[in-house]
Amino acid sequence: MMAPGGRLAKYALWQFRDFATEKGISLLIIGLLLGFVQLLPFRLPGSPELTTERITRIIGTLANTILLIWVFITVNGIISNDRKLGYYRFLFAKPVRPIQYYGQLWLVYLLGLLTALALVSGLFVVFVGRFNVWNLALYATLLYISLGGIGFFVSAITKHELPVLAGIWLGSSVLRAMYGNDTGWKNRALDLLPPVHIMDGVAVSLMTTGTADLGRVVWIVGYGLLFVGLGLVVLHRRPLGG
Amino acid sequence: MIEFRNVGKTYRSLLGNSVKAVEEFSLEVMKGEILGIAGPNGAGKSTLIAMLLGYLRPTTGTLEIDGLPARAYVERNGIGYLSELIAINPKWRADDALARLATLAGIPESRVATRVDEVIAQLGLEEHRAKKVKALSKGNLQRLGLAQALLREERLLILDEPTHGLDPVWTQRFRDIVGQLRSPDRTILIASHNLDELQRLTDRVAIIDHGRLQRVVRTGHGHDQATATRFRIVLVTGLEKMREAFPDAEPAGKGEFAVTVGSLQQLNASLAELIGKGALVASVVPERSALEQQFREAVGESQ
Repeated sequence: MMAPGGRLAKYALWQFRDFATEKGISLLIIGLLLGFVQLLPFRLPGSPELTTERITRIIGTLANTILLIWVFITVNGIISNDRKLGYYRFLFAKPVRPIQYYGQLWLVYLLGLLTALALVSGLFVVFVGRFNVWNLALYATLLYISLGGIGFFVSAITKHELPVLAGIWLGSSVLRAMYGNDTGWKNRALDLLPPVHIMDGVAVSLMTTGTADLGRVVWIVGYGLLFVGLGLVVLHRRPLGG
Repeated sequence: MIEFRNVGKTYRSLLGNSVKAVEEFSLEVMKGEILGIAGPNGAGKSTLIAMLLGYLRPTTGTLEIDGLPARAYVERNGIGYLSELIAINPKWRADDALARLATLAGIPESRVATRVDEVIAQLGLEEHRAKKVKALSKGNLQRLGLAQALLREERLLILDEPTHGLDPVWTQRFRDIVGQLRSPDRTILIASHNLDELQRLTDRVAIIDHGRLQRVVRTGHGHDQATATRFRIVLVTGLEKMREAFPDAEPAGKGEFAVTVGSLQQLNASLAELIGKGALVASVVPERSALEQQFREAVGESQ
Protein backbone atom coordinates (compact mmCIF):
# COMPACT_ATOMS: atom_id res chain seq x y z
CA MET A 1 0.00 0.00 0.00
CA MET A 2 1.10 3.55 -0.78
CA ALA A 3 1.19 6.46 1.58
CA PRO A 4 -2.02 8.51 1.59
CA GLY A 5 -2.33 11.62 -0.57
CA GLY A 6 -2.01 12.39 -4.24
CA ARG A 7 0.62 14.48 -6.03
CA LEU A 8 -1.37 17.47 -7.08
CA ALA A 9 1.56 19.86 -7.58
CA LYS A 10 3.05 17.51 -10.16
CA TYR A 11 -0.32 17.34 -11.87
CA ALA A 12 -0.01 21.07 -12.63
CA LEU A 13 2.06 20.13 -15.68
CA TRP A 14 -0.86 18.11 -17.05
CA GLN A 15 -3.22 21.00 -16.27
CA PHE A 16 -0.96 23.38 -18.16
CA ARG A 17 -0.86 20.98 -21.10
CA ASP A 18 -4.66 20.83 -21.11
CA PHE A 19 -4.77 24.62 -21.14
CA ALA A 20 -2.39 24.74 -24.09
CA THR A 21 -4.35 22.26 -26.18
CA GLU A 22 -7.89 23.15 -25.22
CA LYS A 23 -7.73 26.91 -24.74
CA GLY A 24 -4.26 28.20 -25.65
CA ILE A 25 -4.62 27.62 -29.36
CA SER A 26 -7.97 29.45 -29.42
CA LEU A 27 -6.46 32.36 -27.51
CA LEU A 28 -3.58 32.64 -29.95
CA ILE A 29 -5.85 32.54 -32.99
CA ILE A 30 -8.19 35.19 -31.56
CA GLY A 31 -5.31 37.37 -30.38
CA LEU A 32 -3.48 37.22 -33.69
CA LEU A 33 -6.59 37.71 -35.80
CA LEU A 34 -7.90 40.71 -33.86
CA GLY A 35 -4.41 42.08 -33.43
CA PHE A 36 -3.28 41.98 -37.00
CA VAL A 37 -6.61 43.25 -38.34
CA GLN A 38 -6.22 46.29 -36.05
CA LEU A 39 -2.49 46.75 -36.57
CA LEU A 40 -2.24 46.14 -40.30
CA PRO A 41 -3.33 49.69 -41.31
CA PHE A 42 -0.40 51.09 -39.36
CA ARG A 43 2.07 49.00 -41.35
CA LEU A 44 0.76 49.74 -44.81
CA PRO A 45 3.08 51.68 -47.18
CA GLY A 46 2.73 55.37 -46.59
CA SER A 47 1.63 55.01 -42.97
CA PRO A 48 3.27 57.47 -40.60
CA GLU A 49 6.15 56.26 -38.41
CA LEU A 50 4.86 54.76 -35.14
CA THR A 51 6.29 56.21 -31.96
CA THR A 52 6.52 54.09 -28.82
CA GLU A 53 3.88 56.32 -27.27
CA ARG A 54 1.49 55.73 -30.16
CA ILE A 55 2.18 51.98 -30.20
CA THR A 56 1.43 51.81 -26.49
CA ARG A 57 -1.88 53.60 -27.00
CA ILE A 58 -2.87 51.33 -29.88
CA ILE A 59 -1.88 48.17 -28.02
CA GLY A 60 -3.71 49.40 -24.91
CA THR A 61 -6.96 49.77 -26.83
CA LEU A 62 -6.45 46.45 -28.53
CA ALA A 63 -5.57 44.69 -25.27
CA ASN A 64 -8.83 45.83 -23.68
CA THR A 65 -10.80 43.82 -26.23
CA ILE A 66 -8.50 40.84 -26.62
CA LEU A 67 -7.87 40.28 -22.93
CA LEU A 68 -11.54 40.49 -22.05
CA ILE A 69 -12.33 37.76 -24.58
CA TRP A 70 -9.32 35.75 -23.44
CA VAL A 71 -10.36 35.79 -19.80
CA PHE A 72 -13.91 34.75 -20.75
CA ILE A 73 -12.55 31.81 -22.74
CA THR A 74 -10.00 30.87 -20.09
CA VAL A 75 -12.37 30.60 -17.14
CA ASN A 76 -15.26 29.20 -19.13
CA GLY A 77 -15.92 25.69 -17.83
CA ILE A 78 -13.03 25.77 -15.37
CA ILE A 79 -15.11 23.82 -12.83
CA SER A 80 -18.43 23.17 -14.52
CA ASN A 81 -16.98 21.16 -17.43
CA ASP A 82 -15.83 18.37 -15.15
CA ARG A 83 -19.29 18.27 -13.59
CA LYS A 84 -21.10 18.41 -16.91
CA LEU A 85 -18.99 15.77 -18.59
CA GLY A 86 -18.58 13.55 -15.54
CA TYR A 87 -14.76 13.74 -15.51
CA TYR A 88 -14.85 14.43 -11.77
CA ARG A 89 -15.78 10.82 -11.12
CA PHE A 90 -12.31 9.40 -11.75
CA LEU A 91 -10.34 12.52 -10.81
CA PHE A 92 -11.72 12.80 -7.32
CA ALA A 93 -11.81 9.10 -6.52
CA LYS A 94 -8.06 9.68 -6.18
CA PRO A 95 -6.78 11.19 -2.92
CA VAL A 96 -7.29 14.77 -4.03
CA ARG A 97 -9.28 17.65 -2.56
CA PRO A 98 -11.40 19.45 -5.16
CA ILE A 99 -10.70 22.86 -3.63
CA GLN A 100 -6.95 22.34 -4.02
CA TYR A 101 -7.35 20.89 -7.51
CA TYR A 102 -9.43 23.78 -8.82
CA GLY A 103 -7.53 26.43 -6.88
CA GLN A 104 -4.37 25.19 -8.56
CA LEU A 105 -6.14 25.05 -11.93
CA TRP A 106 -7.14 28.71 -11.61
CA LEU A 107 -3.50 29.66 -11.06
CA VAL A 108 -2.28 27.41 -13.88
CA TYR A 109 -4.77 29.05 -16.23
CA LEU A 110 -3.40 32.48 -15.27
CA LEU A 111 0.06 31.21 -16.14
CA GLY A 112 -1.28 29.85 -19.41
CA LEU A 113 -2.95 33.15 -20.26
CA LEU A 114 0.28 35.05 -19.56
CA THR A 115 2.23 32.59 -21.72
CA ALA A 116 -0.19 33.16 -24.60
CA LEU A 117 0.11 36.90 -24.01
CA ALA A 118 3.92 36.69 -24.16
CA LEU A 119 3.75 34.87 -27.51
CA VAL A 120 1.26 37.27 -29.07
CA SER A 121 3.01 40.35 -27.64
CA GLY A 122 6.32 39.11 -29.05
CA LEU A 123 4.79 38.92 -32.52
CA PHE A 124 3.20 42.37 -32.12
CA VAL A 125 6.58 43.81 -31.10
CA VAL A 126 8.11 42.37 -34.27
CA PHE A 127 5.21 43.70 -36.34
CA VAL A 128 4.70 47.24 -35.01
CA GLY A 129 7.64 47.97 -32.72
CA ARG A 130 8.54 47.94 -29.07
CA PHE A 131 6.08 48.51 -26.25
CA ASN A 132 6.17 47.61 -22.58
CA VAL A 133 5.07 43.96 -22.42
CA TRP A 134 5.42 43.87 -18.62
CA ASN A 135 2.79 46.57 -18.19
CA LEU A 136 0.50 44.62 -20.48
CA ALA A 137 1.12 41.45 -18.47
CA LEU A 138 0.32 43.32 -15.28
CA TYR A 139 -2.97 44.52 -16.74
CA ALA A 140 -3.78 40.98 -17.96
CA THR A 141 -3.12 39.64 -14.46
CA LEU A 142 -5.41 42.23 -12.88
CA LEU A 143 -8.18 41.53 -15.36
CA TYR A 144 -7.81 37.79 -14.84
CA ILE A 145 -7.94 38.13 -11.06
CA SER A 146 -11.00 40.36 -11.28
CA LEU A 147 -13.10 38.81 -14.04
CA GLY A 148 -11.48 35.36 -13.72
CA GLY A 149 -12.21 35.37 -9.99
CA ILE A 150 -15.89 36.03 -10.60
CA GLY A 151 -15.85 33.42 -13.38
CA PHE A 152 -14.37 30.86 -11.00
CA PHE A 153 -17.21 31.42 -8.55
CA VAL A 154 -19.87 31.34 -11.25
CA SER A 155 -18.40 28.10 -12.64
CA ALA A 156 -18.65 26.56 -9.17
CA ILE A 157 -22.36 27.29 -8.90
CA THR A 158 -23.69 26.86 -12.43
CA LYS A 159 -23.02 24.89 -15.57
CA HIS A 160 -23.87 27.88 -17.76
CA GLU A 161 -21.27 30.35 -16.64
CA LEU A 162 -20.49 32.04 -19.96
CA PRO A 163 -23.89 33.77 -20.33
CA VAL A 164 -24.02 34.44 -16.57
CA LEU A 165 -20.54 35.95 -16.55
CA ALA A 166 -21.20 38.01 -19.67
CA GLY A 167 -24.46 39.17 -18.08
CA ILE A 168 -22.70 40.23 -14.88
CA TRP A 169 -19.99 42.12 -16.75
CA LEU A 170 -22.35 43.75 -19.21
CA GLY A 171 -24.97 44.44 -16.53
CA SER A 172 -22.39 46.13 -14.33
CA SER A 173 -21.24 48.34 -17.18
CA VAL A 174 -24.81 49.31 -18.09
CA LEU A 175 -25.84 50.01 -14.49
CA ARG A 176 -22.76 52.13 -13.94
CA ALA A 177 -23.49 54.08 -17.10
CA MET A 178 -27.06 54.64 -15.92
CA TYR A 179 -26.54 55.40 -12.25
CA GLY A 180 -22.83 56.20 -11.94
CA ASN A 181 -23.48 59.90 -11.46
CA ASP A 182 -26.35 59.48 -9.02
CA THR A 183 -25.97 60.38 -5.42
CA GLY A 184 -27.37 58.32 -2.60
CA TRP A 185 -28.01 54.60 -2.22
CA LYS A 186 -27.98 53.75 -5.93
CA ASN A 187 -24.44 54.98 -6.28
CA ARG A 188 -23.36 53.17 -3.12
CA ALA A 189 -25.05 49.97 -4.31
CA LEU A 190 -23.00 50.15 -7.49
CA ASP A 191 -19.88 49.63 -5.40
CA LEU A 192 -21.01 46.05 -4.85
CA LEU A 193 -20.88 45.36 -8.58
CA PRO A 194 -17.71 44.17 -10.34
CA PRO A 195 -15.27 47.06 -10.71
CA VAL A 196 -15.52 47.28 -14.49
CA HIS A 197 -15.30 51.09 -14.48
CA ILE A 198 -12.09 51.04 -12.47
CA MET A 199 -10.54 48.46 -14.82
CA ASP A 200 -10.52 50.83 -17.78
CA GLY A 201 -8.78 53.60 -15.85
CA VAL A 202 -6.25 51.22 -14.37
CA ALA A 203 -5.60 49.72 -17.81
CA VAL A 204 -4.82 53.10 -19.36
CA SER A 205 -2.65 54.11 -16.43
CA LEU A 206 -0.75 50.83 -16.41
CA MET A 207 -0.15 50.79 -20.13
CA THR A 208 1.03 54.40 -20.36
CA THR A 209 2.88 54.98 -17.09
CA GLY A 210 3.38 51.48 -15.70
CA THR A 211 1.75 52.57 -12.45
CA ALA A 212 -1.79 52.68 -11.13
CA ASP A 213 -3.64 53.97 -8.12
CA LEU A 214 -2.88 51.50 -5.34
CA GLY A 215 -6.33 51.77 -3.79
CA ARG A 216 -7.98 50.87 -7.08
CA VAL A 217 -5.60 47.96 -7.66
CA VAL A 218 -6.28 46.63 -4.17
CA TRP A 219 -10.04 46.96 -4.78
CA ILE A 220 -9.79 45.03 -8.07
CA VAL A 221 -7.56 42.30 -6.64
CA GLY A 222 -9.56 42.03 -3.44
CA TYR A 223 -12.85 41.83 -5.33
CA GLY A 224 -11.56 39.03 -7.59
CA LEU A 225 -9.91 37.06 -4.80
CA LEU A 226 -13.06 37.33 -2.69
CA PHE A 227 -14.94 35.52 -5.45
CA VAL A 228 -12.20 32.91 -5.81
CA GLY A 229 -12.58 32.32 -2.07
CA LEU A 230 -16.36 32.07 -2.40
CA GLY A 231 -15.91 29.59 -5.24
CA LEU A 232 -13.66 27.46 -3.02
CA VAL A 233 -16.26 27.60 -0.23
CA VAL A 234 -18.91 26.39 -2.69
CA LEU A 235 -16.61 23.56 -3.79
CA HIS A 236 -16.02 22.60 -0.19
CA ARG A 237 -19.66 22.65 0.82
CA ARG A 238 -21.41 21.42 -2.31
CA PRO A 239 -20.67 17.81 -3.30
CA LEU A 240 -19.49 17.36 -6.87
CA GLY A 241 -22.36 15.09 -7.82
CA GLY A 242 -24.98 17.49 -6.50
CA MET B 1 -14.68 -0.91 6.95
CA ILE B 2 -17.91 0.65 5.58
CA GLU B 3 -20.90 1.47 7.73
CA PHE B 4 -24.20 2.76 6.40
CA ARG B 5 -26.45 3.83 9.27
CA ASN B 6 -30.02 4.72 8.31
CA VAL B 7 -28.72 6.45 5.21
CA GLY B 8 -31.28 8.29 3.13
CA LYS B 9 -31.00 10.52 0.10
CA THR B 10 -33.75 12.72 -1.20
CA TYR B 11 -33.40 14.74 -4.38
CA ARG B 12 -35.27 18.02 -4.36
CA SER B 13 -36.06 20.11 -7.39
CA LEU B 14 -36.22 23.90 -7.38
CA LEU B 15 -40.01 23.60 -7.67
CA GLY B 16 -40.16 21.70 -4.42
CA ASN B 17 -40.72 18.23 -5.83
CA SER B 18 -38.74 15.54 -4.09
CA VAL B 19 -37.72 11.99 -4.93
CA LYS B 20 -36.43 9.57 -2.32
CA ALA B 21 -33.56 7.72 -4.01
CA VAL B 22 -32.36 5.90 -0.88
CA GLU B 23 -34.24 5.29 2.38
CA GLU B 24 -33.14 4.02 5.78
CA PHE B 25 -30.27 2.03 4.33
CA SER B 26 -28.21 0.30 7.01
CA LEU B 27 -25.43 -2.15 6.22
CA GLU B 28 -21.96 -2.96 7.45
CA VAL B 29 -19.32 -4.14 5.00
CA MET B 30 -16.35 -5.87 6.55
CA LYS B 31 -12.69 -5.54 5.65
CA GLY B 32 -11.68 -8.27 3.22
CA GLU B 33 -15.23 -8.79 2.02
CA ILE B 34 -16.48 -8.72 -1.56
CA LEU B 35 -19.99 -7.34 -1.51
CA GLY B 36 -22.32 -7.30 -4.47
CA ILE B 37 -25.01 -4.69 -4.93
CA ALA B 38 -27.93 -5.77 -7.07
CA GLY B 39 -31.17 -4.07 -7.93
CA PRO B 40 -33.34 -3.12 -10.85
CA ASN B 41 -32.79 0.12 -12.77
CA GLY B 42 -33.45 3.13 -10.59
CA ALA B 43 -33.20 1.10 -7.38
CA GLY B 44 -30.68 3.51 -5.87
CA LYS B 45 -27.39 1.71 -6.60
CA SER B 46 -25.73 4.69 -8.30
CA THR B 47 -26.86 7.04 -5.54
CA LEU B 48 -25.37 4.73 -2.92
CA ILE B 49 -22.06 4.61 -4.77
CA ALA B 50 -22.03 8.39 -5.28
CA MET B 51 -22.48 8.79 -1.52
CA LEU B 52 -19.64 6.33 -0.88
CA LEU B 53 -17.33 8.52 -2.95
CA GLY B 54 -18.60 11.68 -1.29
CA TYR B 55 -20.04 12.94 -4.57
CA LEU B 56 -23.41 13.17 -2.85
CA ARG B 57 -24.16 13.77 0.80
CA PRO B 58 -26.78 11.68 2.60
CA THR B 59 -29.90 13.63 3.48
CA THR B 60 -30.30 11.52 6.60
CA GLY B 61 -28.16 9.03 8.51
CA THR B 62 -24.40 8.60 8.42
CA LEU B 63 -21.97 6.86 6.13
CA GLU B 64 -18.45 6.15 7.32
CA ILE B 65 -15.44 4.40 5.84
CA ASP B 66 -12.86 3.34 8.39
CA GLY B 67 -14.50 5.68 10.89
CA LEU B 68 -14.25 8.72 8.60
CA PRO B 69 -16.96 10.51 6.65
CA ALA B 70 -16.85 9.09 3.11
CA ARG B 71 -15.39 12.15 1.38
CA ALA B 72 -12.73 12.60 4.05
CA TYR B 73 -11.70 8.96 3.58
CA VAL B 74 -11.45 9.36 -0.21
CA GLU B 75 -9.43 12.56 0.03
CA ARG B 76 -7.04 10.93 2.44
CA ASN B 77 -6.72 7.45 0.95
CA GLY B 78 -8.32 7.31 -2.47
CA ILE B 79 -10.60 4.60 -3.80
CA GLY B 80 -10.17 2.33 -6.79
CA TYR B 81 -13.31 3.31 -8.63
CA LEU B 82 -14.76 2.15 -11.91
CA SER B 83 -17.87 4.10 -12.79
CA GLU B 84 -20.66 2.78 -14.96
CA LEU B 85 -20.06 5.67 -17.32
CA ILE B 86 -16.38 5.81 -18.31
CA ALA B 87 -15.89 9.56 -18.38
CA ILE B 88 -12.30 10.25 -19.42
CA ASN B 89 -11.45 13.23 -21.62
CA PRO B 90 -11.73 11.80 -25.16
CA LYS B 91 -8.78 13.88 -26.35
CA TRP B 92 -6.33 12.24 -23.96
CA ARG B 93 -4.18 9.33 -25.06
CA ALA B 94 -4.97 6.11 -23.19
CA ASP B 95 -1.51 5.84 -21.60
CA ASP B 96 -1.43 9.57 -20.80
CA ALA B 97 -4.79 9.24 -19.06
CA LEU B 98 -3.35 6.48 -16.89
CA ALA B 99 -0.17 8.46 -16.18
CA ARG B 100 -2.22 11.49 -15.13
CA LEU B 101 -4.46 9.49 -12.84
CA ALA B 102 -1.43 7.66 -11.43
CA THR B 103 0.05 11.05 -10.56
CA LEU B 104 -3.17 12.15 -8.88
CA ALA B 105 -3.30 8.82 -7.08
CA GLY B 106 0.03 9.63 -5.47
CA ILE B 107 2.20 7.04 -7.20
CA PRO B 108 5.81 8.29 -7.00
CA GLU B 109 7.18 9.80 -10.21
CA SER B 110 9.79 7.05 -10.53
CA ARG B 111 7.05 4.40 -10.48
CA VAL B 112 4.41 6.00 -12.70
CA ALA B 113 5.67 4.69 -16.06
CA THR B 114 6.23 1.19 -14.70
CA ARG B 115 2.85 1.04 -13.04
CA VAL B 116 1.12 2.31 -16.17
CA ASP B 117 2.90 -0.38 -18.22
CA GLU B 118 1.82 -3.00 -15.69
CA VAL B 119 -1.88 -2.18 -15.75
CA ILE B 120 -1.82 -1.81 -19.54
CA ALA B 121 -0.39 -5.32 -19.79
CA GLN B 122 -2.80 -6.64 -17.16
CA LEU B 123 -5.78 -5.33 -19.10
CA GLY B 124 -4.38 -6.20 -22.54
CA LEU B 125 -4.29 -2.63 -23.78
CA GLU B 126 -0.77 -2.69 -25.28
CA GLU B 127 -1.87 -2.09 -28.85
CA HIS B 128 -4.30 0.64 -27.82
CA ARG B 129 -2.09 2.62 -25.43
CA ALA B 130 -1.19 5.33 -27.93
CA LYS B 131 -4.77 5.81 -29.12
CA LYS B 132 -6.92 8.72 -28.08
CA VAL B 133 -9.65 7.74 -25.63
CA LYS B 134 -12.28 8.66 -28.22
CA ALA B 135 -10.81 6.05 -30.60
CA LEU B 136 -11.27 3.17 -28.14
CA SER B 137 -14.06 0.64 -28.59
CA LYS B 138 -16.59 0.22 -25.77
CA GLY B 139 -14.83 -2.88 -24.47
CA ASN B 140 -11.40 -1.25 -24.56
CA LEU B 141 -12.75 1.86 -22.88
CA GLN B 142 -14.17 -0.34 -20.14
CA ARG B 143 -10.76 -2.01 -19.74
CA LEU B 144 -9.12 1.44 -19.55
CA GLY B 145 -11.59 2.37 -16.82
CA LEU B 146 -10.72 -0.78 -14.94
CA ALA B 147 -6.99 -0.16 -15.47
CA GLN B 148 -7.19 3.27 -13.82
CA ALA B 149 -9.07 1.77 -10.86
CA LEU B 150 -6.23 -0.72 -10.36
CA LEU B 151 -3.37 1.81 -10.62
CA ARG B 152 -2.84 2.01 -6.91
CA GLU B 153 -3.34 -0.91 -4.59
CA GLU B 154 -6.31 0.65 -2.85
CA ARG B 155 -7.88 -0.83 0.24
CA LEU B 156 -11.33 -0.13 -1.15
CA LEU B 157 -12.47 -0.87 -4.69
CA ILE B 158 -15.88 0.11 -6.04
CA LEU B 159 -16.73 -1.38 -9.41
CA ASP B 160 -19.98 -0.25 -11.02
CA GLU B 161 -21.11 -2.61 -13.81
CA PRO B 162 -17.51 -3.74 -14.34
CA THR B 163 -18.12 -6.20 -17.19
CA HIS B 164 -20.47 -3.95 -19.13
CA GLY B 165 -19.30 -4.06 -22.75
CA LEU B 166 -16.64 -6.72 -22.18
CA ASP B 167 -16.50 -9.77 -24.43
CA PRO B 168 -16.67 -13.26 -22.83
CA VAL B 169 -12.87 -13.62 -22.78
CA TRP B 170 -12.39 -10.35 -20.91
CA THR B 171 -15.37 -11.02 -18.68
CA GLN B 172 -13.59 -14.18 -17.52
CA ARG B 173 -10.29 -12.29 -17.27
CA PHE B 174 -12.00 -9.68 -15.11
CA ARG B 175 -13.26 -12.42 -12.80
CA ASP B 176 -9.70 -13.73 -12.50
CA ILE B 177 -8.45 -10.24 -11.67
CA VAL B 178 -11.06 -9.81 -8.94
CA GLY B 179 -10.02 -13.21 -7.60
CA GLN B 180 -6.41 -12.02 -7.45
CA LEU B 181 -7.47 -8.78 -5.76
CA ARG B 182 -9.22 -10.61 -2.95
CA SER B 183 -7.21 -9.91 0.19
CA PRO B 184 -7.92 -9.67 3.93
CA ASP B 185 -6.99 -5.95 3.74
CA ARG B 186 -9.13 -5.07 0.78
CA THR B 187 -12.86 -4.51 0.52
CA ILE B 188 -14.48 -4.72 -2.88
CA LEU B 189 -17.97 -3.55 -3.84
CA ILE B 190 -19.39 -4.68 -7.16
CA ALA B 191 -22.66 -3.24 -8.44
CA SER B 192 -24.05 -5.25 -11.30
CA HIS B 193 -27.20 -6.38 -13.03
CA ASN B 194 -25.44 -9.63 -13.80
CA LEU B 195 -26.53 -11.92 -10.97
CA ASP B 196 -24.43 -14.79 -12.26
CA GLU B 197 -21.36 -12.60 -11.99
CA LEU B 198 -22.23 -11.52 -8.45
CA GLN B 199 -22.88 -15.14 -7.55
CA ARG B 200 -19.39 -16.12 -8.70
CA LEU B 201 -17.42 -13.21 -7.29
CA THR B 202 -18.98 -12.02 -4.07
CA ASP B 203 -19.36 -13.15 -0.47
CA ARG B 204 -22.69 -11.40 -0.01
CA VAL B 205 -25.09 -9.52 -2.20
CA ALA B 206 -27.21 -6.63 -1.00
CA ILE B 207 -30.44 -6.51 -2.97
CA ILE B 208 -31.94 -3.05 -3.11
CA ASP B 209 -35.11 -1.77 -4.65
CA HIS B 210 -36.97 1.52 -4.38
CA GLY B 211 -33.98 2.84 -2.43
CA ARG B 212 -34.38 0.30 0.37
CA LEU B 213 -32.25 -2.64 1.32
CA GLN B 214 -34.55 -5.58 0.66
CA ARG B 215 -32.29 -8.38 1.83
CA VAL B 216 -28.69 -9.51 2.01
CA VAL B 217 -27.94 -12.89 0.43
CA ARG B 218 -24.87 -14.90 1.34
CA THR B 219 -23.26 -16.10 -1.87
CA GLY B 220 -19.94 -17.54 -0.67
CA HIS B 221 -18.35 -20.44 -2.54
CA GLY B 222 -20.66 -23.48 -2.82
CA HIS B 223 -23.49 -21.74 -1.05
CA ASP B 224 -25.65 -21.46 -4.11
CA GLN B 225 -25.26 -25.08 -5.12
CA ALA B 226 -26.27 -26.18 -1.64
CA THR B 227 -29.44 -24.12 -1.63
CA ALA B 228 -30.56 -24.55 -5.23
CA THR B 229 -33.65 -26.72 -5.35
CA ARG B 230 -34.53 -26.89 -9.04
CA PHE B 231 -32.26 -28.38 -11.67
CA ARG B 232 -32.41 -29.14 -15.37
CA ILE B 233 -31.05 -32.58 -16.26
CA VAL B 234 -30.29 -33.61 -19.82
CA LEU B 235 -30.09 -37.33 -20.64
CA VAL B 236 -28.60 -38.93 -23.74
CA THR B 237 -30.01 -42.41 -23.03
CA GLY B 238 -32.31 -43.96 -20.42
CA LEU B 239 -35.03 -41.33 -20.65
CA GLU B 240 -37.60 -43.90 -19.59
CA LYS B 241 -35.73 -44.48 -16.29
CA MET B 242 -35.99 -40.82 -15.27
CA ARG B 243 -39.30 -41.12 -13.38
CA GLU B 244 -37.96 -44.09 -11.39
CA ALA B 245 -35.14 -41.96 -9.93
CA PHE B 246 -36.97 -38.62 -9.95
CA PRO B 247 -40.71 -39.27 -9.58
CA ASP B 248 -41.63 -35.56 -10.04
CA ALA B 249 -39.42 -34.99 -13.12
CA GLU B 250 -41.10 -32.77 -15.71
CA PRO B 251 -40.10 -33.51 -19.34
CA ALA B 252 -39.01 -30.39 -21.26
CA GLY B 253 -38.25 -32.07 -24.61
CA LYS B 254 -35.07 -33.31 -26.32
CA GLY B 255 -34.05 -35.43 -23.33
CA GLU B 256 -34.30 -32.54 -20.87
CA PHE B 257 -36.13 -32.71 -17.53
CA ALA B 258 -36.82 -30.22 -14.74
CA VAL B 259 -36.52 -31.74 -11.25
CA THR B 260 -37.07 -30.44 -7.74
CA VAL B 261 -34.93 -31.84 -4.91
CA GLY B 262 -34.71 -31.18 -1.18
CA SER B 263 -30.92 -31.13 -0.99
CA LEU B 264 -27.68 -31.79 -2.83
CA GLN B 265 -27.49 -35.18 -1.13
CA GLN B 266 -30.88 -36.14 -2.51
CA LEU B 267 -29.88 -34.94 -5.97
CA ASN B 268 -26.69 -37.01 -5.91
CA ALA B 269 -28.45 -40.10 -4.61
CA SER B 270 -31.14 -39.88 -7.29
CA LEU B 271 -28.54 -39.27 -9.99
CA ALA B 272 -26.57 -42.31 -8.81
CA GLU B 273 -29.73 -44.38 -8.99
CA LEU B 274 -30.47 -43.07 -12.50
CA ILE B 275 -26.95 -43.81 -13.74
CA GLY B 276 -27.11 -47.19 -12.05
CA LYS B 277 -30.18 -47.98 -14.14
CA GLY B 278 -28.14 -47.34 -17.32
CA ALA B 279 -29.02 -43.73 -18.08
CA LEU B 280 -26.30 -41.50 -19.62
CA VAL B 281 -26.38 -37.97 -18.10
CA ALA B 282 -25.20 -35.14 -20.35
CA SER B 283 -25.63 -32.21 -17.94
CA VAL B 284 -27.06 -31.10 -14.59
CA VAL B 285 -27.61 -27.34 -14.23
CA PRO B 286 -29.33 -25.36 -11.46
CA GLU B 287 -32.47 -24.00 -13.08
CA ARG B 288 -32.30 -20.78 -11.18
CA SER B 289 -29.56 -19.71 -8.79
CA ALA B 290 -30.44 -19.05 -5.20
CA LEU B 291 -29.44 -15.45 -5.75
CA GLU B 292 -31.72 -15.08 -8.73
CA GLN B 293 -34.54 -16.66 -6.75
CA GLN B 294 -33.93 -14.32 -3.84
CA PHE B 295 -33.63 -11.35 -6.17
CA ARG B 296 -36.97 -12.10 -7.79
CA GLU B 297 -38.60 -12.55 -4.41
CA ALA B 298 -37.07 -9.39 -2.95
CA VAL B 299 -37.88 -7.19 -5.91
CA GLY B 300 -41.32 -8.73 -6.21
CA GLU B 301 -42.04 -8.14 -2.53
CA SER B 302 -41.06 -4.50 -2.74
CA GLN B 303 -43.46 -3.80 -5.61
